[in-house]
Amino acid sequence: MESYVIGIGLHSPSKALADFRLEEIVYHTARAALDDAGVTRNQLDHVTLGASDEFDGRSISSMLMAMPAGAYLTDEIRVTDSGASAFCLATARLKSEEFDLGMVASWCKPSKTIVEVFMRLRGDPFFTRPLGINMSISDALFAQAVAKTFNVSDNEVCERVVKAYERAANNPRGMKYDVPSLNDIRESTLESTPLRIGHRAPITDGAVCMVLASERWLQRHPGHQPLARIAGVGWSTDSYRLGRNRLSDLVSAQKAWGQAVGNDPAKIDLIEIEAQTGYHEAAYVRAFKLSDSIKISPSGGAFAQNPLFCTGLVGAAEAILQVAGRAGPVQLPNVRCAAAHSCHGFAQQGNVVMIFEEPGIDHG
Amino acid sequence: MNEKTRSIDGDVLNEEITLTYRYSLGEVAGKFMAGLRDGKILATRCSKSGMVYLPPRSFCERSFEKCDSWVEAALEGVVEASTIVVRGFEGSRPPPVAIAFVRLDGVDSAIANYVEEIDLSDVEVAMQTIAVGARVRVKFIEKPTGSVTDFYFVPAS
Amino acid sequence: MVETVGVLGTYQSNFKTREVDKTFAEQAQGAALGVLDASNMNPDDVDAIVFSLAPTAFMGVADADRWCIDHIFGAGKPMMRVHTGGATGGSAVHAANSLVRSGIFRSVMIVGAERISETPDAQKVLNQIFDPFYEKEMPLQTITTVAMMANAYMQRHGVKQEDLAHLVVRQRRSAMNNPHAHLKGEITIDDVMASPMISYPLKLFDCCPRSSGSAAMIIGNMDMVRKHQSHPAFINGTGGVSDSNWIGDRIVPTAHADFIDWKLMRVAGAECFRRAGIDDPINQIQVAEVYDAFSIQGLTQLEQLGFCSSGTAFRLERENAWDVNGAVAVCPSGGTLCSNPIAVSGLVRAIEAANQVMGTAGGHQVANVHNAVATSVGGIAQFLNCTVFGNDYVRTN
Repeated sequence: MESYVIGIGLHSPSKALADFRLEEIVYHTARAALDDAGVTRNQLDHVTLGASDEFDGRSISSMLMAMPAGAYLTDEIRVTDSGASAFCLATARLKSEEFDLGMVASWCKPSKTIVEVFMRLRGDPFFTRPLGINMSISDALFAQAVAKTFNVSDNEVCERVVKAYERAANNPRGMKYDVPSLNDIRESTLESTPLRIGHRAPITDGAVCMVLASERWLQRHPGHQPLARIAGVGWSTDSYRLGRNRLSDLVSAQKAWGQAVGNDPAKIDLIEIEAQTGYHEAAYVRAFKLSDSIKISPSGGAFAQNPLFCTGLVGAAEAILQVAGRAGPVQLPNVRCAAAHSCHGFAQQGNVVMIFEEPGIDHG
Repeated sequence: MNEKTRSIDGDVLNEEITLTYRYSLGEVAGKFMAGLRDGKILATRCSKSGMVYLPPRSFCERSFEKCDSWVEAALEGVVEASTIVVRGFEGSRPPPVAIAFVRLDGVDSAIANYVEEIDLSDVEVAMQTIAVGARVRVKFIEKPTGSVTDFYFVPAS
Repeated sequence: MVETVGVLGTYQSNFKTREVDKTFAEQAQGAALGVLDASNMNPDDVDAIVFSLAPTAFMGVADADRWCIDHIFGAGKPMMRVHTGGATGGSAVHAANSLVRSGIFRSVMIVGAERISETPDAQKVLNQIFDPFYEKEMPLQTITTVAMMANAYMQRHGVKQEDLAHLVVRQRRSAMNNPHAHLKGEITIDDVMASPMISYPLKLFDCCPRSSGSAAMIIGNMDMVRKHQSHPAFINGTGGVSDSNWIGDRIVPTAHADFIDWKLMRVAGAECFRRAGIDDPINQIQVAEVYDAFSIQGLTQLEQLGFCSSGTAFRLERENAWDVNGAVAVCPSGGTLCSNPIAVSGLVRAIEAANQVMGTAGGHQVANVHNAVATSVGGIAQFLNCTVFGNDYVRTN
């Protein structure tokens, strides 16, 4: 049975959403998704959350977050890998035919904590943590491996970053940063070789919610025009150990891609890639063997907004808006099929790919 | 995180970890705390569901609408649940302490706080005083600081 | 067209306070090896993994599931981790069930580990579940909030502390036949009554221990069942529900699901039983592995699941209705009351229920089990889920 996305809520991003509690941010976003879908909270029969206790500063974050996400008296499950991982579970729940209308919700407020402190906490205490391995270092190791294996020059990386900022500047849903020059990037402070601060997408606070519906539900409730059909999902997690092959073989990325795309990669018009750095974009373009005709992150991707834990799900929202013709100033023409990618863990240990197509049915 | 201590001791690696968080007060908690400083307990109300809530919150779980007004709670109410903590409590007060969820008059949900002015030497007897259905009154501390412990409950009679 | 889902094998370690000989990742590995062995499967037979892990602050490694992936033969596989507090294990089973039932994967391993005693600050970690503004300054902990609920329930239904003690005695005794159980032994009602009072009316012996250990279950579609398990337990029903975290909303007359009587379990159970074709629980279900971290919790769930009416379960306890040989065997394993490795406690309830149906419960096997129910509870009875295992599959929708 087919599944569809019928509503989206995307919170406006900020460097620090200090005026609101996390619950309030998510409530507004979930409410927006319900309103966009034209359904009430009471109609939901399941909720799937993507949230991290460490980011949220709570030992069981969903205790306070489930209700704002619309889970009151509903079957709710939370995953901790990423917002996009929650989306994958949600599609499985719909496909199991035990559920028909669900909310997927994810959020992240990195401004409320010191991100690298908790990133270091991900290190195993014996071999990894003593070295202080964190997001910056693991991404640097990734960058080095990618540069070497795929002959990616610093120039290519800087160009990708600048182009991403250029696209992002037109995205009304993003931060609308000033576009830096190539030199700005090239000469920005070195973080951990070869990564410079300029290579990296700035981190923001944000939230994203979506309402998903089964085909059966749509048949029973005529009058709802879906935004996109969920054509495929795939996810995979790599080895924890950061050896050379693990860094540049991009096994989990390719597996996630393969599972999602299935037999027909040619039909994809664009892909929103979660590129935390310019090296990530360079790597994924090669790992997914993207032809030149496939447009990369028209929204600007992480350079438009980057609420770390759910950046990939935000990318999915952008991809869906493209398919639905609602992407506004960053809309590409004739989009029939859009992919979205998400990564999580040290040096993109985990990857998720989601494919969206035009609904192809008239439920209006 | 400051890895203050990291030491190996036989088969065991010891480590102390500090995590820092800044929790925004948000739309509602700030006003509630300010109210406490004025000797008031402020609840939020949702006109769609008609529910009045303590602790106050910015949206109503029932209607999934924003709470749209504030209501001053009465300073007396009824115990809905209670217990006397006898040991093992790592809080600001040494046990025994009595706590209760109290539904203040005019409010639909109950809020938890300490119950004072009870003789806790006989726990069984003390539990009768704060049994479900017992009436309690609110008292404020002399110098409220804008924290939920600015007020406490005492038996009404 | 959906798949039928069966349990292919299970594994539990022996639960104890500290697991000193292994790291967390090695514990998870032990469970993965154990369940593969029990199912007669190779790692390649497992298509995907759902990791069962609640707060990681106990072992001090964030996203510790990712650290374990190589140890559990999962590198390059689809993996996700589920976390719904104490309900985690049950939610993990439900997530895995969706992955197989949907036809996306042939088989899924649900695996996890707990080492809560890794930190002396476990209570401080648990206290972080509460709202930072309204609740943290209160002595609101799991035990004090459960104690408040217990007082109200006992007052409402005329239940005495000695009735709770009867249950503790029964389950500790049952646990003597369970090599995995943490707490076990022959104790008396007087022993329970004399144990130190923690938060009235709950005494030490009314509370679960803090356990370390690991557990795993492999489930699969009918093809996998035919290949690997001649006596499977089928997952016939699942139901879950989440309530508001505000306890004060749930104990008042306007509550939608009264917390004192655990009405929320009625909601979870109704959906689960409907899917499993259960409409007469006491006659159709022979074993109930209910998640009871505290002595007050298990029987209130039984009432809402329809085994008996509200407020009667403790009287029936005194009449030995819940004994291994009673009307329904309640927690023949000893339950969560005897072993609580939080990250996997809900999984252990599911494993125990499945084992009873599969005939692999060993020393505490109940005779002639057709159906068994498992529940798990997260937050302050905020997240509830319920799973029915049967020795024959049921197709309803």
